[in-house]
Order: sequence, then structure tokens, then C-alpha cells
Amino acid sequence: MTDTDKPLANPLIVLRKDFEDDDWAILFDPDKGNAFGLNPVSVFIWQRLDGQHSLGDILKEVQASYHGVPQEAEVHIEEFIDQLMKKGLAGYEFQV
Amino acid sequence: MRVMQSPSSMEVSITGKCNLRCLYCFHFTSPLDVPQDLPAEEWLTFFEELGRLAVLKVTMEGGEPFIRPDLPEIIEGLVKNRMRFSILSNGTLITDELAAFLAGTRRCDSVQVSIDGSNPETHDACRGQGNFLRAVAGIENLKRHGVGVSIRVTINRHNIEDLPEVARFLLEDIGLPGFSTNAAEYMGVCRSHTDNIQLTAADRSRAMALLWELKEKYPKRISANAGPLAEARDWGKIIQDREAGREPATGRGHLVSCGGTKTKLGVRCDGVIVPCILMPHIELGRINRDDLGAIWRQHPELQRLRERHLVPLRDFDFCRDCDYLPYCAGGCPAVAYTRTGQDSHPNPDNCLRRFLDEGGHLPHDNP
Repeated sequence: MTDTDKPLANPLIVLRKDFEDDDWAILFDPDKGNAFGLNPVSVFIWQRLDGQHSLGDILKEVQASYHGVPQEAEVHIEEFIDQLMKKGLAGYEFQV
Repeated sequence: MRVMQSPSSMEVSITGKCNLRCLYCFHFTSPLDVPQDLPAEEWLTFFEELGRLAVLKVTMEGGEPFIRPDLPEIIEGLVKNRMRFSILSNGTLITDELAAFLAGTRRCDSVQVSIDGSNPETHDACRGQGNFLRAVAGIENLKRHGVGVSIRVTINRHNIEDLPEVARFLLEDIGLPGFSTNAAEYMGVCRSHTDNIQLTAADRSRAMALLWELKEKYPKRISANAGPLAEARDWGKIIQDREAGREPATGRGHLVSCGGTKTKLGVRCDGVIVPCILMPHIELGRINRDDLGAIWRQHPELQRLRERHLVPLRDFDFCRDCDYLPYCAGGCPAVAYTRTGQDSHPNPDNCLRRFLDEGGHLPHDNP
């Protein structure tokens, strides 16, 4: 059994965008009652944690959607996903 | 005005039934008091809509929520749709089994239990014989299973002198981290018993003095958003700010007290959507028939209530020539409605000038 390289958002976590006219949001963990603020790029990444996108896929979509994406973006995305995983907000699917 | 896409929380009256008949119940004889409860299936369908709207939290109230035998099924619906919940209760029907169930969901923020005295005589004077011991048993069941318990003490003419013992009982004997207080308001059944229940200016002054001392004795463990303790705090600040010549906080001098309709909505036990459980006469729609998101964003009554903060107090005869007007927030719109028939009106029961005119005094002025 191995995990895929395509991260998956924890389906129990709620993404709440308070306002239609901005792309900021919070992630809400109903089991723990914790909430985490997300900036628009983090929301963009979160919405691609669907088990279908690899880190490389997500990087390509970020680069295609935003201007001036820095070279270290890949590291930042990886760190962000690692943080989500440490908090139990995301994980990897396992393939048997 | 910038409005969120959906409410972040909801208050739902899941039943109109109650095993008690408390003398200051806001539910009975109000527009909340409708004969028919919705079946669980209707609530479960509605919770799916709340889940889609990313509502985060639901407060269940009544009536008495624990009177519904299908309460666990209703709560499972909240859990399934990724929400947390809290419950407002009289505490008397909370069995060990129900407390264990709540703990097992891992989603219960708290159960708020009403305790109005340190002993059966005081508590039961307004809530009915035997209910103090039943409520305390309910609290013990919740504590045993690690469910968060919050206590609300409703101050009325029968429990003022018991307040020090209430604080000792709750904070020392039971060992709760804190409790909150309010006062019996002119709503529901209380309107028929006001001379026996509601605080006079002298009663309020006495309650304020006792609570102010208790606040010092038990730091940060007694709180209030309404009632004598909140009034002592808020009115004291108004007087101090005025005497010191400080500028009023932004928005003061207008009807700014309540921002509830900017974050949450209510639902009556018959499924009618209302701006607030305490303003059940304003019917905005019905669950599972009308689109809650559309009501939230577009209903003219909600837009009117959200713009209440633009109404200046100087427009009201009631506030004319008041020295405190620039510092006043106008008070609760729900009580303003029951007292005056208008929600866009200052609440006469929350008026500092009237309190002082009737001989009231704040604890800060006590010798």
C-alpha cells in the first residue's frame, strides 16, 4: 500500500468564504472547533486538493493564474500543504 | 452595506414544547409559541442546506430541546453536515445517556443551563417545584461526560439577595469556571407577571452592587451581555466618558446595540425563518421552501434591520434632551418592540437616564 502524490483535502473541513467580492476564506475544523484564515492563493490551492492534482499540477495552475509568481513558489506550496497535513486538514489517498 | 454570503451561525427553536412553565419564559405567549413542531426529517433537510451554505454553528433552543425524543437524530444531522452546536436548556431532562451522546459527537460547544438560585426555594419560585434538583442533576451528568456547561442566571425580584450564594454554589461547590447573568425581560410570559418579576430601579441598583462585589471576588468568572451587571459596566463607562469629556465610541448616538442580523438568523419551531429568535414576529420565509441564502442576502426586512445603526437617537421624543444621548447605543431591538411596538426605537428598559430618574444608582457611586 502506497500513498499517491496527489494531496486530498480532509472532507470534514469546511471552507467558508464570507464575502463574494474577495477571495479570502477560513478553514473550519468542526471536530476541534478551530478556524484558520486563508489568503486568496491558499484558497486557490485548497480547492485543488482533490486527489487529482499533484504538487506540480497545482504549481502550474498557480503560475497560469497569477502574475509574478516567485521562483520559490513550489517550496511555499509544499510548506503550506505540509502545514495542512500536520493540522489534519489534508492528507494523501492510499492506493492498495 | 457589505453582507456575508451566508449566516455564520443559526439559532433554531427545535421545539415549542417544554416541561416547565417559568414565570419569565420569553417563548410562551410570544409569536414563537406556535402549536406544531416540525418532524426531524424537516430539520435534517434544512441542515443539508446549512451545510451547503457553510454555516458553522447552530444553537438549538425551544421550548426545551431535550424534550424531543428524536434530539439525537437531529444532532446527527448537524454533525453529518459539518457543524458544531450548542443547546439552551432548563437542564431537567439531561440524562446520563444523553450527556454521553453529546460528548460522543465531539461537536458540542456547550449546553447552557438556567440556574436562578443556590437552593430549591429560590430557583423553583419561578421555575416550578423540584426543578432545581433536576437541573443540578443534569449539570452533573454533563460534567461527568466532559460536556461544556455554561450557566445563565436570570435575575428577577426573587433571587437578588441570593446572588452571593448562587456564585458560591456554582463556582465553588459545583466548580464551574464561570457563569453569566441577565434579567427577566418584558417578553413572553414575563409581560403578565412584570410587577412580580421584573426589577425596579431599586432592585437593579441592589443587584448591580452585589454583582459588582462578586465580580471582584471572582475575577473574570461572572459575565453579562444584558441585565444589571452589563448595565453597571456600560452605564458606568458612559458616565465616566462624559465626565472626562472623552469622545463617544464610533456609531454611538444611534441604534447600534445589536449586530445580530449581520451574522446569524433564527428559525421558529414551525420552520418560519426569523431575523432573531427574540424577534419571531418578523417572518422572512420558511425552511425547505425558500432559499435561505437569498433571504439572507436580499430580504428587505433584514436590510432594514441591518441599517438600524443609521437611525439617530435624536429622532426620538424618548431621547430628547438626554445628556447621555451621544454615548448611548439604544439597547435591544427585540425588547424595544415588545415595549413600544417598534424595533427601530430605543429600548426604554435599557435607558440610563430613566434608571437615574427613578432613583437608581450605579455601584461605582456607592460609598
